[in-house]
Amino acid sequence: MLKMLKKAEKTLGSVQFAVVIIVLFALALIYGTFMESYHGAEYANRLVYKSLPFFLLQFSMFLSIFCATLLRLPMKKHLYGFYVLHLGLLLLFLGSFITYKSGIDGNLTLPPNLAQRKIVLNEDEFEIKLEEKGVKVTSPMPFYAGETHLNYTLNENQHFQNLPQIRMLRFLPFAQNSLMWRKSPENFVNKSSAQYQIYNDRFSENVILSMNPLSDYQSSTKMGLLNLHYMPEQLYPCFILNNVSELVIWDSEKESCFTPESRGLPVRKTPKGERHVLLKEMGQDYHFFPELSPIPMKADLALLNDSAFRIFSLKFFKEKPHLFLFGQKLAFYDESEEKWVGHDYEQNGPIAELPWMSFNLRLTSYHKNRYPVQSPEYVKPTQDNGQIIIGNDKAIEISVDGQNYWIRQSDGPMQMILNGEKITFELKKKEILLPYEITLNRFVMKTDPGTQSAASYESFIGLFDGKKVNDHHVYMNHPLKYKNFTFYQASYFESQEGGYGSVFSVNFDPGRPWKYLGSLLLVFGTIWHFGFSRRKRLKEKRKEIHEQNNPVTHTATT
Amino acid sequence: MNKIILLLILLLPKTSLSVDLYFCDNSMEDLPTQAGGRVKPLYVLADETIKFITGKSQIQNLSAVEAFCLLSVQSMGLKNDLDIPIRIDHSKVKEILNISQEESSLPAQKLMEQKDLLRSEYMQQKQNDAYKKELNKVLTRLSYYEQTLNGSLWSSPSINQNEVHWLSLPEFLTQDKVQSTALQGKEAFLQVFKTAKKNYIELKGDSYLLELTYSKLKLFSWAMISVLLALIFLTLKKSSTVGLFFTASTLTIELIAMVMRIFISGRAPITNMYETVMFSGFGALSLAIIIYSYKKDKVFLFGGLSYNLLCLLMMKFANNMLDPSIQNLVPVLRDNFWLSTHVTTIILSYAALALSWMLANIVLIKSLRKKLEAKDRRYYTSLIYSCLKYGVALLSAGIILGGVWADYSWGRFWGWDPKETWSLIVLLFYMAILHGKYSKWVTDRNFIPLVAAAFLSVMMAWFGVNYILATGLHSYGFSEGGAIFLASFFTIQISVLLLYYAREKIKADHNS
Repeated sequence: MLKMLKKAEKTLGSVQFAVVIIVLFALALIYGTFMESYHGAEYANRLVYKSLPFFLLQFSMFLSIFCATLLRLPMKKHLYGFYVLHLGLLLLFLGSFITYKSGIDGNLTLPPNLAQRKIVLNEDEFEIKLEEKGVKVTSPMPFYAGETHLNYTLNENQHFQNLPQIRMLRFLPFAQNSLMWRKSPENFVNKSSAQYQIYNDRFSENVILSMNPLSDYQSSTKMGLLNLHYMPEQLYPCFILNNVSELVIWDSEKESCFTPESRGLPVRKTPKGERHVLLKEMGQDYHFFPELSPIPMKADLALLNDSAFRIFSLKFFKEKPHLFLFGQKLAFYDESEEKWVGHDYEQNGPIAELPWMSFNLRLTSYHKNRYPVQSPEYVKPTQDNGQIIIGNDKAIEISVDGQNYWIRQSDGPMQMILNGEKITFELKKKEILLPYEITLNRFVMKTDPGTQSAASYESFIGLFDGKKVNDHHVYMNHPLKYKNFTFYQASYFESQEGGYGSVFSVNFDPGRPWKYLGSLLLVFGTIWHFGFSRRKRLKEKRKEIHEQNNPVTHTATT
Repeated sequence: MNKIILLLILLLPKTSLSVDLYFCDNSMEDLPTQAGGRVKPLYVLADETIKFITGKSQIQNLSAVEAFCLLSVQSMGLKNDLDIPIRIDHSKVKEILNISQEESSLPAQKLMEQKDLLRSEYMQQKQNDAYKKELNKVLTRLSYYEQTLNGSLWSSPSINQNEVHWLSLPEFLTQDKVQSTALQGKEAFLQVFKTAKKNYIELKGDSYLLELTYSKLKLFSWAMISVLLALIFLTLKKSSTVGLFFTASTLTIELIAMVMRIFISGRAPITNMYETVMFSGFGALSLAIIIYSYKKDKVFLFGGLSYNLLCLLMMKFANNMLDPSIQNLVPVLRDNFWLSTHVTTIILSYAALALSWMLANIVLIKSLRKKLEAKDRRYYTSLIYSCLKYGVALLSAGIILGGVWADYSWGRFWGWDPKETWSLIVLLFYMAILHGKYSKWVTDRNFIPLVAAAFLSVMMAWFGVNYILATGLHSYGFSEGGAIFLASFFTIQISVLLLYYAREKIKADHNS
């Protein structure tokens, strides 16, 4: 056993092993820097710097240094520099390990004049709260670069035993929403959705619109000056009738449209000049004042909100660019022709020419019984110009009573009622509370004279430790150290309530003394080691010159 | 405004020049002006602006000051025919502007007509690639041109209750001020500026004029001549004393230039790529002289001088990559202690490693021409090893100092930021070579080429992180346009190494 240990010590402490480890370490770092450049710092940390293989590599380096030092014991005078240097390295490793295991690194966001003590850490966790019982369960999320299958059932926890099965299925550390078309439930059939491509020579964009209330997409949107409205297909014929009154009435019960002209309903004017249409249907009078409201009124002008009828005055949509989409058809007002123009994709071809800036509209997909949702999927993040442009969200998939749900970090908490119990699910950053409160009294950004470029970021804060408030001034290169924590000016933001808020980087590093001592020894040892080598070489050189100058004596001695 | 135009027409006689110079002349170069948050002489502002917009220091035989002044007076309605060329480098930008690839600029007024096209093209680019960056640069040049035209770039001091207020040209040059001088012709206008300068100096002193002296002395051009003379005289063995004199004079000139920059900027001269190249050239030559003083081998001087010359050439001709202007720092760098210690140590370590690289290449190239004896190889190995020791010790110290500064400023000793990681990679590569040499894995035959190759890691840490990786907390040091330089450097170095090994193989085959 001892022999084996000796052999291991000799191998691990050999210079050859050190060279191999150093080269491997350097190659891993090169890979890490390129990953960081393409995919961002967090991806590089998950993939390389905080991964198990990299940790093992560092441990191998530690072993190599440790064994190399042991092999050179008992101490020799000419190796003093070597011992100090290598001891410094070992202490650096030790300090870094202590920081890794017990250190705290997070952010403290300080809105103006609001006491705060919450530090948000970099670790992700999934939190489930039983609101009424006041029970909170958190699960740390794994720190890997790829998608992780969790397969963890929460009902093992006593508070969740009486609830339907809740399982954590998958965690995506880098997620991007992708478009998915889900089947509509039966009560939502005929609530169609469609995807269009709007383009001209210089611009192209996809637009998704949906009538389905379950969809993540809306039924209207705005693109610059152009307004897009997605409407039931049955409304289309009435839009292109070009009737004199330019009024269209929609019956949502029968899902059909008609115009005052088609029903022979007279359009009168009130003394104030507003138009009035009276519809008599099933013994009920519906008074429409299209200039006032799309909803019909009773004779006493009370709104009939529950009515199936709505009126549209197309006049409103003539001045600005409005595009009405009806799934496979569209309509717009053409100013040059001074009339409403329609396009039926089935009959008139796959591309509709629009009258604005040479835009064309292509129908790329149309679904009558499906609706579009944004479903998270794993992506390797993409960094451009220092910003993560793809994959800057995280998501967890859970199963509740056999039904799967995605919870995205960007969405915030999701609530559900199970067996009458209100449950909140949230994928969030881990948080800890400071034992004291910090309030931002004032944030100052000084600029260089005559410019907008920042010269300094300064936070004037009050720290309340339970007894009294002490004022502090935190700015670049001047952190606040208080009870083992250090607060650094990291960032700032414009508060919604007005004024500026400040962000501190908060740090607790129990490995710091070891790292500082190790650094000192490393630098001192390097100088000592190389300095000694120089004296040694000078001695050797002198000896060489002496031998060259005195060959006879040298021969005689031998 | 109309009154001042009338006044100018009345007071200023027409000149015989094709461009009417109005009151613009080179005597205005020492006027104080505020730009980029600093007070500087008009000469510096004009030179930087005209050079940035056009890529040249002179326009149609007009000095930068005259050209800048003529453009600025247009803000007061003084129209003139001066139409400066705006520099365009990227082939694709030339394509969309319909100019031939041979042309490197477009007249500003013509380019102004294409501004919307450039902006729309810029907005459409999703990738922040070289094309988008060049579009941004051309648009920035146009913006500077517009700011010069509307007189907002040129500010002049107006003293009010012992406080300096900086006014743009149209605000500053009022009719009252000109008439109150009771002078005629352009002297009346110049007098207004001179009075403002006098008042400013009385209140704030004339320290800003040091930058004028610095800019006009062109010390680095003199250093280049000196370094060339040193190399020539050192090659002629009999004149080594003269060679040493020019080596010392190079160092002295560079020291004076750097001290002047320190006084102008109020900080250590190591805050952008231009300054780090400058400081590394100086550091390598200083180290070469120190080692030469006890090794007594001129090869160190050759190495130090050659590297210094390379740095000076880069500073002179690679202005697209290395910006020589003195600018204010981002807040985090405004700490002279850490800046002076951490960055200086790192750049000095790069200088020492650069010296080892230069010596290694001198030996490699020498061995291509003549077979290197084992004794000679051992000797050169020991010389290069001397430089490496300095480099490695300084680099370790520099990395540690960086860690301490990061801990002090950002709250963490080490954060795997690309710049700090690459400096560790450099250290690891050199440590691998040193350990390899100790274990005899790296023989004397391979040591020198490995040292030459290892410097590629230094170039990656120094330039590559900024030009290729371009992310991370050290983003304040980033500049553009260096990828081609870096690729060329890598190609040349790898070619030298391949040639060396091919030659060695031929020799080995021949011997066997």
